[in-house]
Amino acid sequence: MYYLGVDVGSVSTDIVLLDEHMTVNEKIYLRTKGNPIKAVQDGFKILKNKYNQSEISAAGTTGSGRMIASAIIGGDAVKNEITAHATAALEFDEDVRTIIEIGGQDSKIIILNNGIVSDFAMNTVCAAGTGSFLDRQAERLDIPIEEFGDYALKAKSTVRIAGRCAVFAESDMIHKQQLGYNQPEIIRGLCDALVRNYLNNIGKGKTILSKVLFQGGVAANKGMKSAFENALGFEIYVPEHYNMMGAIGAAIIAKKTVKKVGRTNFRGFELAGSNIISKSFECEGCTNKCEVVKIYENNTVIGYFGDRCGKWSNKIVQSSNDLLA
Amino acid sequence: MKVGIPKGLLYYKYHPFLITFFKELGADVVVSEDTNKKILDLGVKYAVDEACLPIKIFHGHAVALRDKCDIIVIPRIMQIKKNEYICPKFCGLPEMVTNSIENMPLSITEPIYTFTKKRLYRWAKSAGKKVTGNEFKIKHAFLKAYEGQLNYNAGILDENYDIKIALVGHPYNIYDNFVNMNLVNKLNKLGVGVETMEFTHELLISLEINNLYKRPFWTFARENYGFAVNASKEKRVDGIIYISSFNCGIDSVIIELIKDKVGSFPFLTLKVDEHTGEAGIDTRIEAFTDMLERRIVNESNIPTHG
Repeated sequence: MYYLGVDVGSVSTDIVLLDEHMTVNEKIYLRTKGNPIKAVQDGFKILKNKYNQSEISAAGTTGSGRMIASAIIGGDAVKNEITAHATAALEFDEDVRTIIEIGGQDSKIIILNNGIVSDFAMNTVCAAGTGSFLDRQAERLDIPIEEFGDYALKAKSTVRIAGRCAVFAESDMIHKQQLGYNQPEIIRGLCDALVRNYLNNIGKGKTILSKVLFQGGVAANKGMKSAFENALGFEIYVPEHYNMMGAIGAAIIAKKTVKKVGRTNFRGFELAGSNIISKSFECEGCTNKCEVVKIYENNTVIGYFGDRCGKWSNKIVQSSNDLLA
Repeated sequence: MKVGIPKGLLYYKYHPFLITFFKELGADVVVSEDTNKKILDLGVKYAVDEACLPIKIFHGHAVALRDKCDIIVIPRIMQIKKNEYICPKFCGLPEMVTNSIENMPLSITEPIYTFTKKRLYRWAKSAGKKVTGNEFKIKHAFLKAYEGQLNYNAGILDENYDIKIALVGHPYNIYDNFVNMNLVNKLNKLGVGVETMEFTHELLISLEINNLYKRPFWTFARENYGFAVNASKEKRVDGIIYISSFNCGIDSVIIELIKDKVGSFPFLTLKVDEHTGEAGIDTRIEAFTDMLERRIVNESNIPTHG
């Protein structure tokens, strides 16, 4: 039997299957590219060819697209990213005290004490200094994001880049490039700036104790890992499935939910071939004029999102029950 | 005469006074509708770029009332407590609004000092004159409005919830459900009860303030700090949620003061700006709730400090 976890983030959509022993049996990393539904469908196409849907005994979702993902796959648990990441980290390493997680548009710090979350912080409305910023700079410098970290490690010295705001950082970077600094130095400077920004903002007032796990897509960047180690003065660890931790957490939470409830809502892999479309409209019910998204699967409505009062989303009772699961 | 009252900023605190006063003067009181997307858009369009969200929203309400009233109230609130001040944007609000929005009707912008009844009456006399020449009527309206304000019970005090939080912040962020994306409702749905500062006695607030090395300059700072610290100390709540508008200078100080004082007591800052996507706020409050639930279960394992 397998437990399915889906993490629909701003940059990537991650899908995992865990076996009974909570080992990762399958992992799929896809770019969300602004289309969470298609990303999940693409992932399911891969799964459909390898697994039978009856083998899935629970399904959970997390990430900023967790509600939509849960509606289309039939999720048993919908969990926020903080809880999902903490759950996954603790599953693999009971001694973890601090989790640094940097994703596409969010960065988080999670402080654990005796195996429970005792404090956390996230970036505020501004997404400066997260994965999507690095992505954008990699693109601008014409370096594949996968090689970004190696470049940073090649630098012999570093250059100071303003880190408070992505827009400031970018203009500062351009100025430094025009002064003649080479690419590795610029990239290392950028990693240092992001780490400084992270520790001064999200990490402010938090005691970062070892053992530290570095999770999320940005953990792939060796330059970032090394910049964190320089700033903190001790080693930090990147878990094997660093970019799947959210999805792993969602799968573990779903397993627990199903154990309690006794059945799964999982709708199967057929979704891969379904014709899923979303339409949005402005609700005229009141002056809030919420933008409501309506999801159809083969012409049947399977979910509504975005209404503040619940007039539409409560029509699909299942998803609201899951919210509280 | 139609008197327009924008539903923004400290309207949420002083609407009983303002509405009663102008109604008793015999005016037709027109209040703008609840904040909505249209009002936000108008506010963003007309207000100066650098202003915070609540100021922008106030501009939106002013535009919404522009053609619906003969005179508009733009409260120039100067001081609520003696020797304390409020955000300078309140003092310059009338100038911001009337210079940024064209074709505004006449406005009532007399400075408001509320720390004594006598000082406030001074405002009533000059503001009232713009509506009626009858001084007796103004005095009567003022007394009624004053009483109405005193008898007004604002605030949220949820009972029968397993988890409770202190909701801290400016009234226009706490009570404007468009800005805070129905925060209280969302928390209630997650099984979290809310308490706001109105139920903490002035004396208890002062007690906390006296422990600071310096008396705070701002009224908002005194109230929010005093309430948050008192509620956590007396363990009336399991955590503190501070809702703050992006860019708010006063909040940036208060938040640090509270955090510094309460130590490891659970504290969550929610920043609001022009965003209308709710995923960000949902993630934060859900995670905070999860954390509080687990902390309560494991209470005995957690040291109070550290």
